[in-house]
Amino acid sequence: MTALDGSTRQLTLVLIVVGLLVGVAVAPQAWDRATEPNGTVAVVELHGSITGDSATAVIDDLRDARQNDSIQAVVLDVNSPGGTASASEQLYLAVKRTAGEMPVVASVTGTAASGSYYAAAPADDIYVTPASVVGSIGVRATLPSSSIPSGQVVTGPDKVGGSTPDEVRQRVETLRRAFVGSVFAERGDRIELTREEVSHAKVYAGASGVENGLADEIGGVDTAIEAAADDAGLSNYDVARMEAPQPSVLAQLGLSADTTSDATTEQTFDYRGVDTVQYLMLHGTITTDTARNATEVTANATA
Amino acid sequence: MQPRKVARAIGVIAVVAAVVVAAAFAGGLVLGSPTQGDAPDAPAYDTNELVAEPIEDDGSVTAPADGESKTVVVDMSHGNGVSENAIQPLVDALVAAGHEVQMYAGGSSSTIGSQSGAAFNETLRGADALVAASPATTYSSNEVAGVEAFADAGGRVLLAAEPPTTTSTTSTVSIPGLTSSGTVSAAGQPTNLAAAFGVSFGNGYLYDMAENANNFQSVYAGGDSGVADGVEDAVLTDATPVTTGGDASPVLTASDVSLSSTREEASYSVAARNGNVLAVGDTDFLTSTSATTGDNDVLLSNVAAFLVEGDKQSGIPASSQSGGQSSGTGTTPVMAT
Repeated sequence: MTALDGSTRQLTLVLIVVGLLVGVAVAPQAWDRATEPNGTVAVVELHGSITGDSATAVIDDLRDARQNDSIQAVVLDVNSPGGTASASEQLYLAVKRTAGEMPVVASVTGTAASGSYYAAAPADDIYVTPASVVGSIGVRATLPSSSIPSGQVVTGPDKVGGSTPDEVRQRVETLRRAFVGSVFAERGDRIELTREEVSHAKVYAGASGVENGLADEIGGVDTAIEAAADDAGLSNYDVARMEAPQPSVLAQLGLSADTTSDATTEQTFDYRGVDTVQYLMLHGTITTDTARNATEVTANATA
Repeated sequence: MQPRKVARAIGVIAVVAAVVVAAAFAGGLVLGSPTQGDAPDAPAYDTNELVAEPIEDDGSVTAPADGESKTVVVDMSHGNGVSENAIQPLVDALVAAGHEVQMYAGGSSSTIGSQSGAAFNETLRGADALVAASPATTYSSNEVAGVEAFADAGGRVLLAAEPPTTTSTTSTVSIPGLTSSGTVSAAGQPTNLAAAFGVSFGNGYLYDMAENANNFQSVYAGGDSGVADGVEDAVLTDATPVTTGGDASPVLTASDVSLSSTREEASYSVAARNGNVLAVGDTDFLTSTSATTGDNDVLLSNVAAFLVEGDKQSGIPASSQSGGQSSGTGTTPVMAT
């Protein structure tokens, strides 16, 4: 009996050792499994002035985020003075669509003014720092020149300018209503300002932004990522950064608003060589050079 | 194998394959999650109030044609920011009603060393009305005295101004024949001329964030008598307030608007009248782009009537005043008899 007992005990010991070995061998996988990220927070960069191209890149990033099953939340890293009105509206709709499917948190890492604030408005929360800037909710446009340059033939009185100055004013007012209306549709319950006050198009430093409801919390981009992950119910998560395309040299020059450099807003937002009416949601002093462009067109036409 | 069996085998394969494909398709339809969610609705894009309506822009500017033909002098000699083209509606209305409009570009005949403003006052002598809008340079004391005498003798004076701009734009203006009066004042405003009649122009523009003509700088103004008769919603763009003192009284008022320099919301008068002098804090309503916007056609017609309905004695300001008064104390000059 005792011999049998002894052999059973030995067998048990061996089995325990074997079990331990197997367990140790498999444990790392189990550990990995337990600590494996259960989702990804995508940080989508919205940097630089908003043009059709830069907006398309951000919109594509947001679509990728929506279609990628592992991405459960998006942080919009905003540092932009805005840009063209149409591209800003496209961004607004893309961010709004994304926010309808997953948590979206905006982190203002520099400036979220005008068009870029438009893009950030549908986010669930907007994080700012005391020095970052939000606001400038307004629209601007260059007035068209109505005269037909000599040496050109056009088929109608508005072929050159596109519209009369009064019509440009109407369009700017329409865009303002859409902009201010959208901001109130997204954040009306949090904004402490009246529509008229918002329409003044002031920029507010982060702390005042939190006070008047244009922003929600003070915090850096990491805080925003954490908040987004929290909203998505992620305890372990990866962070994937979707970088903005590097702006072209011309765009960078165009961004240096209010300097003595020769770059004009037209050079950043315009079609080369053609002077069209620009509807901009852009913060900052801009240099327009309509006269020079007109002269160039004339010179080219007569050459 | 018999061909029939082969056909049956192929048929079975085809049916089974079709069932599998159909099951996969149906399964995908039922179980697959949509990769694209619903398009977001943008509530602000979908309201009746989104599109800004054009401001009513019809009517025409007219001037009274009955009565004698009057001569209206439009001063261009002080680098005035209005050209003949710019005030075309007013000129057209006056000419159509049989009146004469002179654009005074400066006294080229005046010799060097002559009293400043002599040529200007000489022009006034034969005129019935004067339009002085947005001058870049100040009127000399001699000219101010001339205009005062002109107004006292029944000559009608329209002073119009915009908010002052930076002086850099005015420094290159040359004034033929009036070189001694070439000092630069607050650009765009006939300050000392207005001051002689108890009127002062403001230093900012008026704006209205709530009720405006499609732009915050286009404010509505109205009044009920005088040149504001029938004017309820004149549209003044980039207008400056007019402060009155002495005998001057406001005739046109913009309510619940703000002044850009102080951001203070109040009712501001944008036009004031002092006897034969009318001061308006806007020049845009004279231009063809906004002369018929809103009630501007009524306002401008009233202004045209104001200009030609005076009864001025001829020969004033007298030539002695051109050479005599240089101190410009603002006292009423001696009248010619």
